[in-house]
Amino acid sequence: MHLEYTPEQNAFRVEVRAWMEAHVPKEPLVTLECREGYDQHVEWERTLASGNWGMVTWPEAYGGRGLDLIQWLIFEEEYFRAGGPNRANQNGIFLLGPTIMEFGTEEQKKRFLTPMAKGEVIWAQAWSEPGAGSDMAAISSKAVRDGDHYVITGQKTWSSRAAFADWGFGMFRTDPESKRHKGLTFILFDINSPGITRRPIRQLHGDTGFAELFFDEVRVPVENCLAGEGEGEGWNVAMATAGFERGLMLRSPGRFQATAKRLVDLYRKHEAEASPAAREAVLLAWMSAQAYAYNTYAVAAKIMAGGKIGAEASLNKIFWSELDRSMHRTAMQLLGAHAELKRFDDGSVNQWLEGYIFSLSGPIYAGSNEVQRNITAERMLGLPRVGAG
Amino acid sequence: MDMLLTEDQLALAETVRDYLAGTHGPEVLRRLDADGNRDPAIWQGLVDMGLTGLLVPEAQGGLGMGLVDAALIAAECGRACLAEPLVDTAFVGVPWLLAQGKLDQLPDVAAGRVTLPLAHAINPWVADGEGAALKSVDPMRNLAASANDNADPHLLNLGALMSAAQLVGLADAMLYQAVEYAKTRTQFGQPIGAFQAIKHQLATCAVGIEFAKPVVWQAAQALQEGRASAGVHVSHAKVAATDAAMLTAETAIQVHGAMGYTYEVDLHFWMKRSWALSGAWGARAFHLKRVDDAVLGGTLAIGPEHTFA
Repeated sequence: MHLEYTPEQNAFRVEVRAWMEAHVPKEPLVTLECREGYDQHVEWERTLASGNWGMVTWPEAYGGRGLDLIQWLIFEEEYFRAGGPNRANQNGIFLLGPTIMEFGTEEQKKRFLTPMAKGEVIWAQAWSEPGAGSDMAAISSKAVRDGDHYVITGQKTWSSRAAFADWGFGMFRTDPESKRHKGLTFILFDINSPGITRRPIRQLHGDTGFAELFFDEVRVPVENCLAGEGEGEGWNVAMATAGFERGLMLRSPGRFQATAKRLVDLYRKHEAEASPAAREAVLLAWMSAQAYAYNTYAVAAKIMAGGKIGAEASLNKIFWSELDRSMHRTAMQLLGAHAELKRFDDGSVNQWLEGYIFSLSGPIYAGSNEVQRNITAERMLGLPRVGAG
Repeated sequence: MDMLLTEDQLALAETVRDYLAGTHGPEVLRRLDADGNRDPAIWQGLVDMGLTGLLVPEAQGGLGMGLVDAALIAAECGRACLAEPLVDTAFVGVPWLLAQGKLDQLPDVAAGRVTLPLAHAINPWVADGEGAALKSVDPMRNLAASANDNADPHLLNLGALMSAAQLVGLADAMLYQAVEYAKTRTQFGQPIGAFQAIKHQLATCAVGIEFAKPVVWQAAQALQEGRASAGVHVSHAKVAATDAAMLTAETAIQVHGAMGYTYEVDLHFWMKRSWALSGAWGARAFHLKRVDDAVLGGTLAIGPEHTFA
């Protein structure tokens, strides 16, 4: 263990910082969860790609820079230091991309990864169904083989980005006789295919970040399936994707360290009327964001040494989602009567309010924290399982 | 930049873990509680493993290792609820003497002939030292009254760091005990560990412990490297480890139900050590104040680009 960056790592940080300072939009973008904001965020993905910053860890052959995970963390730190926008393509670059890297054929890597890194194709996830939320093994949407195509019929819901995105990925039942985890296949599909209807879902804040997807005999070429059909293939691929989602990539520590720093600044502004409890909450926010960063650096080092992320991905997801919620709650309490204002007196957007509302989704998406606690208890601590498995 | 614990470090910790699991189980704690709480044979076993000389330079007859190695082994001492004063002498006293260039006693310490009672103004007692006896809630602690005005900050940092390391080991052990009990205790026709009300509480403890550990290891390395900010990181570690241990202690007794309130169940030894070490070498409020002075006081650079400030 050593805590000094190498001269090369420091030089890389300087390079990222200079680019971010020159390119990150000066004004916050409109929320990703409406047409105008989505288009702005896609434009930002393409600006990032113009600097070759789409996904720095991927090989150059797939639109990346071939950097290691420490450099990725440095990139993310500088990204959030500069106030970089949310990534419109996070379902692609952070979840599907690493999954294709692990399970995809060479042809699939070439076909899907480069346009993903360049922001040319934006991805939605299609995990949940009306009857399969936390219990994902209850998926019933079917993909029936017909020659060199699947014919998909069914419904997905809570599909992040699906209101506007280009492509989606999810699991479908390819073996009609199968039950639970078996007989599911991981399939990538063009959301504009004939037979797919998207119905945006209005969220509690009024915007439409996710959507329902209805599939009516949608024909998808079999080469769009990842890792093939088989007893448990699709489930294994999905669990790997979920591991990436909960584990290392989806929420890098820079995001929370930036929030903690803003919270410290906010506290200083409101110090005169703040309670001692708020002061402690602010300190705990900084400490927890730092703890998350140390842990992520340790996980990155472990992966670089040939290790893997296991059940600890669930611990991660519980930790960052509850940290994010508590930091924003503390901010709302510090803001007092200003907390409810959508815009402050000076016309600026109340990012704490937007962030608080968004933070409430964190303990729900990517597998609810109740499910994560079950996984932790059963797979890490070895407590007995109950019910259907 | 590297936060990896090496295979050598993990292997050494595992060796100590296995040794203590085999020689220092709950039955030993019960014997020590009944028949006098120090045992030369246990001490000699630690000496024979080289642990008293872990941080002593090779020239003085030790192994010349660093504070991260020591913190990992201190955690194992916590896990075993070790009674002997190994951590104070070998992992706090030795690096403190080394920092002052006092090498005379080190060969005797490495050989196990001398222990180092550590008096500091932050504690109203000295452990395993001279003075009027004070009774601790932890039957394994031998405390003597001390009105020492030594306020050396390096000694404080070392003491707090190694307390934090022991606390994460104690927390691990209490979580394990609660899990084992929840697997075997049956009510309503199933092991109570199958109930989500139990599972979720224990999972929450696991989150607290697993996110306290890297804070402790990072603080150990910061102190080893002599970084100017090391004191803040030690305080962060003490707060995080205290919170994890106290949460796990309270959850573990709850999971044990009324059995957890008895002397018969082992848990109380680990709980009592957790209470003691939570307060020793600066309690939570003291260390939170040091974090406060740095973070809100503005002496520490914060933000995503300052992860290792």
